[in-house]
Amino acid sequence: MESIISVHNLTKSYKNVEAVKGINFEVEEGEIFGFLGPNGAGKSTTINMICTMLKPTSGNIVINGYDVSKDKDAVRGSIGIIFQENTLDEKLTAHENLMLHCRFYNVPKDKREERIQEVLEIVDLVEEKSQRVETFSGGMKRRLEIARGLLHYPKVLFLDEPTVGLDPQTRAHLWEYILRLKEKEGITMFLTTHYLDEAEISDRVAIMDQGDIIAIDSPTALKDQLGGDIIELSTEDNEQALKEIHEKVKEAEVTVDEDTIHLKVASSDAFISSFIKTLNIPITRLNIRKPTLNDVFLAFTGRKIGETVKE
Amino acid sequence: MEGIIAIWQRDLLKFFRDKARLFGSFTMPILFLLIFGGGMSGSMETMMAGSMPEGAGEFNYVEFVFPGIVAMTLLMTSIFSAMSVIEDKDFGYMKEIMVSPISRVSIAVGKMLGSATIATIQGIMLFLLIPLLGLSYDIMALIQVIPFMFLLGCALSSLGLLFSSLINSTQGFQLTVQILVMPMIFLSGALFPVSNMPAWMDFIVKINPVTYGVDVMKKVMVDIENMSSTVMDAMGLNLTLFGRQLTIFEEVIFIVIFAFILVFLATVSFKRANA
Repeated sequence: MESIISVHNLTKSYKNVEAVKGINFEVEEGEIFGFLGPNGAGKSTTINMICTMLKPTSGNIVINGYDVSKDKDAVRGSIGIIFQENTLDEKLTAHENLMLHCRFYNVPKDKREERIQEVLEIVDLVEEKSQRVETFSGGMKRRLEIARGLLHYPKVLFLDEPTVGLDPQTRAHLWEYILRLKEKEGITMFLTTHYLDEAEISDRVAIMDQGDIIAIDSPTALKDQLGGDIIELSTEDNEQALKEIHEKVKEAEVTVDEDTIHLKVASSDAFISSFIKTLNIPITRLNIRKPTLNDVFLAFTGRKIGETVKE
Repeated sequence: MEGIIAIWQRDLLKFFRDKARLFGSFTMPILFLLIFGGGMSGSMETMMAGSMPEGAGEFNYVEFVFPGIVAMTLLMTSIFSAMSVIEDKDFGYMKEIMVSPISRVSIAVGKMLGSATIATIQGIMLFLLIPLLGLSYDIMALIQVIPFMFLLGCALSSLGLLFSSLINSTQGFQLTVQILVMPMIFLSGALFPVSNMPAWMDFIVKINPVTYGVDVMKKVMVDIENMSSTVMDAMGLNLTLFGRQLTIFEEVIFIVIFAFILVFLATVSFKRANA
């Protein structure tokens, strides 16, 4: 496959801080690329540089064959961006917002109405096209923004926290639209999200921390790298149980999170039956699961994804 | 080009949709017309008449001040419409514009034309008050003055644009612009003649684009052919620069240069904002 985005030795320094420390990665055409990292990791800085909104200190970025620092307009025409915050003009109708976008991006005049209809159909907003955006719900606004981002047939669609601030049902819906889009149009998607379960749909994810990319692979490969199963359990007396586990169980990695004990083992099938017998403290809750991206994230960065979020 | 028109049309569309803004911006000039036109005309006319030889003709203050109030409206509307750039930044729409392939010059020019058009429309709306003020202007003169109003609007909008591209809060913008707008009105000959000013004030008068705008508008609107030179002096229609009386053409050139420089600066400022 061809690389649609390639980033080489990209750095960005502010006065005293090196926000991005020479990162390298490639995004292949047609894939969903998840870009994860705790707040302050340098994600937004990186995206802003890729989207021509911020000048890199050094390094180079090529999108769709165009150099970001030399050929800004061609790059801008090749990408669509769904920003974290709402960037619609709420005083205008959905149709007017889309039409303005067509004109900004020089969509041929005779194609405009057709394309507007097409993108509105993708996000199910055909009926609402003459309504002012201020009357829309949060989810409808997001969908309209996605529709708008598609109007000029971008090669890459950037989705920066597309579901932030939406309720779970709307979030699930939105992902349906996004996946439908990938299937229908085959657009490359560059995605950031705080909800790691949402990042599972990515073909590959990159984890960024403190200005560096510390892991890059498919979600499955990353999870396999951690290996094994995770057993979560709560007991009537966790302290006593921990003592016993430390004495008797040698093959498991043990961590404690509030009132839950996590055991990481190579394979839970063999382990669990003997384990339950060895433990004398009654178990109140037991859960066996495969590692998720959350565990991957925790293992690589030493924190949970939301931990540095100020709320 | 398409981008310029799109940005221009968006601002116009939003202006016509915002009814409160449409009528609200009308009150200030009416207030000024009442105060200056009604309240001050008596004393201004007596004052002027005292300094004029007999038989030189009548000095009509309302006739003098009306073009000035129109220019004032242009100034206020142009600069405050340019505030839409800050609103767009606040509401995020500026990002949509900035990541699109429109050239930064087109953004600045589109915004400038938008504000200038809105200002000109507001100015033309003031023409409706002419019969109520007991004035009579030649209809052709009123039509002829519109392009000059638009030109002045462009120059002033580009000034507002430069400020709004540099400032990030509406409050900050309003405060800064207030400090700028007041002297621009008072030291322009819009409300009273500025022929005999102290040197430093005269300097401000001469670099103020409103001065030239007001002067051109008066020259076009007021029937100067049938006016004695004394009355013309009293009306302040003898603007000179380096001891030489300016023609309409020269004044227009000045306004155009002013607009070009400021649009250029605003463009640079837009470019810097998103390198």
